[in-house]
Amino acid sequence: MEKGKKVNLILLTFSALLGFMAVIQLNQDMESYNFVTLRTIQVSKNEIANTSKEIEDLETLIVEKEEEIKRIENTKDESSAHSILNEELDKTKIASGFCDMEGPGIVIIMQDNQAAEIVGYDVNDDVIHDIDILNILNDLRIAGAEAISINGQRIMPMSEIKCGGPNIKINGKSLATPFVIKAIGNPKTLYASVNAPSTYGYKLKNLYQINIETSIEDKINISAYSGNFVFRNANPTKEGD
Amino acid sequence: MKNNKGQIAIMIICVFLGIIVAIQIKTVNKTVGEGLLPTQRAQQLATELKKLQDEREALKKELDELEGKIKLYEKGEADKNIYTENLYKDLEKYRMFAGNLDVEGPGIVLEINDPPMDIQFGEESSIVDELDMILQIVSVLNASEAEAISINDQRYTSYTEIVRAGNHIEINGVSVGPPIVIKAIGDSSLLESSLSLKGGILWHLEYYTDYIVQLRQEKSIKIPKYRKIKEFTFAKPVPELAN
Repeated sequence: MEKGKKVNLILLTFSALLGFMAVIQLNQDMESYNFVTLRTIQVSKNEIANTSKEIEDLETLIVEKEEEIKRIENTKDESSAHSILNEELDKTKIASGFCDMEGPGIVIIMQDNQAAEIVGYDVNDDVIHDIDILNILNDLRIAGAEAISINGQRIMPMSEIKCGGPNIKINGKSLATPFVIKAIGNPKTLYASVNAPSTYGYKLKNLYQINIETSIEDKINISAYSGNFVFRNANPTKEGD
Repeated sequence: MKNNKGQIAIMIICVFLGIIVAIQIKTVNKTVGEGLLPTQRAQQLATELKKLQDEREALKKELDELEGKIKLYEKGEADKNIYTENLYKDLEKYRMFAGNLDVEGPGIVLEINDPPMDIQFGEESSIVDELDMILQIVSVLNASEAEAISINDQRYTSYTEIVRAGNHIEINGVSVGPPIVIKAIGDSSLLESSLSLKGGILWHLEYYTDYIVQLRQEKSIKIPKYRKIKEFTFAKPVPELAN
């Protein structure tokens, strides 16, 4: 009986102590007390990393522009001014997709499921849709693709990819299966972006049983944009606005 | 004897409690950093972020100034003769295609707000879970001949990726969260009607999933240029054959 009381007493003392400590801890930081989870900290860390990447990009751009200004200021005669403009024109043509490009990359061949009976839940599951291609393109861009074409149509910022009856419309032209998507970039990352488990391409291939074949190639040729898109409404922003 | 048993039980529980607390502290320390309270760390991060954002704004301004200067030079040259003027016009055209130029014009503004929390089940859904929708909206806009598109002021170019990162989206490597504001320059009535078609994409967003969608035409929309450096490390231009 004596022993049991002793133990109880010890427990009581320690509980009281613990309680005091907890109260002191809470009191100490009452002003800045708010919910901070590990997740929010991780998120803001990400954001900081992103912003510093942006700043880096901006700094390189600024250095580039300063050099350009120097070069322009040093030119006196007309022909060198022309060459500067021409150089800039070539660079912009490459960035805008008006240039044939070649380099290592991957070729994806996508085909509807060829079985006569319905394999998926619905016939629609056996057919390639616009959203499938949009997702694959997005994955390729995440993997850093530098130029993409589908059945010879260069993908531009204003390229639409829309289902239109039995075929898909890209750049105003109707294309049908099989779709051959070519992308130039780091072949390994591009390949992984379509084939790694949990990517959209993997899901299409294994869940919906769409035929997707990916091959890495050392030299791919992607032709320039051949459409004639006209800017009717958009105008360059005026200076001093 | 009975007392002893109780003591052993308490001891075991205490040992477990100790291990659990130690693991918890270790995990928190790893993420937060040694010897810091999470709240302090969060404040530190917030101030750091603020500083970086200020720096970014300053750099953007500087870049704009430099670009303005270059533009003046180019225009000055362009006024001298017809050949240079044509070169300059070409340059502007291709820059618009590449998205390297601020543009303005008539068009539409689409704002997508997350649906309010479901009162009955407490479920929350967010546009972050439905990146497909954003991809499709952009495609629909392009199908109706949109000339420039931006998502939360990030210009949509052929290199623009849309990635989910935790509970927000990254576009052009910049964090973006709801509400999503998509701007498009083009024939505004065509753009509006193709989006608001019954059974179309906005109908799905509004009636199936309760997103709060606002679509309006505007006379003048400004869309900023693409501000990332796209380096071509793998792709090389094909040398043109002499013909």
